[in-house]
Amino acid sequence: MGKGWCLFFLFWPVAAVASCAMAPFVNWSFPYDNAQAASNLGIRIDGLFYLILVITAIVFIGTQAVLVYALWRSVNNREKRAMHIHGNHKLELIWSIIPGVILLFLSIYQMNIWADFRIKKYFPEAAVKAPLAEVTARQFEWRFRYPAIGKKLQQKPQSDDLYSVNELHVPFGKPVLIQLRSDDVQHSFFLPALRVKQDALPGLQIPVWFEANKPGIYDLVCAELCGWGHYKMKAHVIVESDGEYQKYLKNLTQKQFYDGLGKIASKDSSRESEAAEK
Amino acid sequence: MRFGLSRLILLLLVPLISLPGCEQPQVEFVFSKKTNELMPQAAKPVKEALLNHFGNPFALTQFEGLPTDFGDIQGTVKSVEPSEKDQPLIRFHVTGLENTYHKLQGLPLKWTSGKGQGQVLRIKSYKYETSTVAVEKSAEITPQAGDTFLVECVRLQQGRDLYNRHCMHCHGMSGEGTGPTSRYLNPPPRDFRLGIYKYTSTKPTKKAQNADLARTVKEGIAGTYMPSFKLLTDDEVSAIVNYVVWLSIRGETEKKMVDELFQEYSKEELAERTSEEGGETKEEVLEELKDFMEEDFPDTVEFATSSVADAWEEANLEDSVVVPREPRVADTPESRERGRKLYLSERTKCATCHGPQGRGNGTATQDFWTNPVTNQKYPDRGLHDIWGNQLSPRDLHRGIYRGGRRPIDSYRRLFSGIKGTPMPAFGGSLSDQELWDLVNYVMSLPYDGNR
Repeated sequence: MGKGWCLFFLFWPVAAVASCAMAPFVNWSFPYDNAQAASNLGIRIDGLFYLILVITAIVFIGTQAVLVYALWRSVNNREKRAMHIHGNHKLELIWSIIPGVILLFLSIYQMNIWADFRIKKYFPEAAVKAPLAEVTARQFEWRFRYPAIGKKLQQKPQSDDLYSVNELHVPFGKPVLIQLRSDDVQHSFFLPALRVKQDALPGLQIPVWFEANKPGIYDLVCAELCGWGHYKMKAHVIVESDGEYQKYLKNLTQKQFYDGLGKIASKDSSRESEAAEK
Repeated sequence: MRFGLSRLILLLLVPLISLPGCEQPQVEFVFSKKTNELMPQAAKPVKEALLNHFGNPFALTQFEGLPTDFGDIQGTVKSVEPSEKDQPLIRFHVTGLENTYHKLQGLPLKWTSGKGQGQVLRIKSYKYETSTVAVEKSAEITPQAGDTFLVECVRLQQGRDLYNRHCMHCHGMSGEGTGPTSRYLNPPPRDFRLGIYKYTSTKPTKKAQNADLARTVKEGIAGTYMPSFKLLTDDEVSAIVNYVVWLSIRGETEKKMVDELFQEYSKEELAERTSEEGGETKEEVLEELKDFMEEDFPDTVEFATSSVADAWEEANLEDSVVVPREPRVADTPESRERGRKLYLSERTKCATCHGPQGRGNGTATQDFWTNPVTNQKYPDRGLHDIWGNQLSPRDLHRGIYRGGRRPIDSYRRLFSGIKGTPMPAFGGSLSDQELWDLVNYVMSLPYDGNR
């Protein structure tokens, strides 16, 4: 039976490594057919993931190899009795210091990425200056408020703000910042393709920035169980060229100020209709 | 060890027991409260007529003359599978159904040629991959290769599946607004069976356009639990709207038939008529009912369905839409001031409900109102909608517009009122200029500080 146990303990690490290795080819890996992250920051975050994966893989394979080797040796050498050791200062130092060094390295190594992603001081200046939109999570949909063309997003809703639901348009190749809010309970703004995830909390306005590096239609899903309709709380983020984005805003303005006859009037009508035609 | 084994077996049994629960339940359409309040002899023909004309959720029925896209698909029998004598089903391979909806189980199949021409059978099972249809065996029908048939209600079935997946858990299987999640919602989900929808682009007396309903499905209703379903395709949304309107037509038809009978043949009325004061016997009442059923009821059914169908058809005509005669008046302080004066004036009486400051706290919210359906006072203060829910007049400062925030949306709310609610229509009494002034004033309120 001894050899059987050896094989048993050999089988699991081999199976784990094999399934890990085949993951990218059978769609068990990153979402969207293991596509590269659609933002540069996302690619860096994936880099961190792979780094940690490599480190843990080496440690895992190493420890499992030692385990199987130890089993195998004693199975083939039944004469030799096991022995008890009461502490080994040197060994203990080694197995404390090596993981400690690895963890310290990881925590220092990731600091730049974390700071770029989350610490407001390091946000891209252009994005902070002119937030793109306010995103309001609500049971069970996403509502968006853009400032009027040529204006800045204000804390409070303005009469010429533009609204949409479940469809966020974003220009690519340029960092954008959204102000994340929640109307009711906790939600989470999750853009899997861009590796962005941020909880939305009622009563807080949380800035989130991202920069999409290729156009496309990406899923925006809620990643915090928010009620019975959580599963259907899904929107599209449409990343397009700046020209198309401006066209979309113009279109949205026209739609929102539609008076049933195809004419647009507003507070000061000359400027407003000009903005709509631009 | 004893503990482990017996418990383990129990634990394994749980998923086994729950497995049969995974089958789709064969639910039936429910009938309205009023139908069930009829005396059983009067309720029976109503229920039968509904079943004949509309079927059940899992056995949809085509009824000619409705403005519904039933989506008939023509098919041809390619070959018939030989079957044993004691098998209840007969299977055959078909062509013509390749590019259509893949779930046809339960739909009526009508033979258009061959021995069984004109006969209708229900599809017992259907395999899309192999285009195999199975129907019950019957003496009169022996399908042959080359026979043609129509599968009815394919589009309706597609709408039903989408509806059951996305809408049913709030709006209910029959569109009665009491799905399993509805109890958690305030405002409650709409009961479609009155055929009344609040946010429409149509004139005051008209029903909703399909486009209005599609817009509501796509955009959701801000400020309520109706979420946006923008990620559905246009085709899916139109299938859902088609089904929802069909549910409405079913509910309205039921209501019209019951209204015809309710005055004379409700359970309550029966008790009164057979009481000492009424002086009739039950036999007399039943005799009278029998006469009515034979002579007048067929016409009632005919009239109920055709009038409902006509109303829906009419709503979708182009001239049912409210189109302003004049473009929006420029949103100037003067226009808003004119709007404010109108708002406070006796002509519009906006302030009675919405309050002098537009906070939704007018004096009408403290009155006891009369239910227009029963002509009795509501038990609680404030306004009510036609579905019987208490309804507070909108606080105009919140910047939430349930029917959409375009100027034209507000214009249409003012022009046609909000159907099913006490919000009246001003299209007849105010000029376009005045309506636009009101729109400008009302839409400026959320951005107007604390005035």
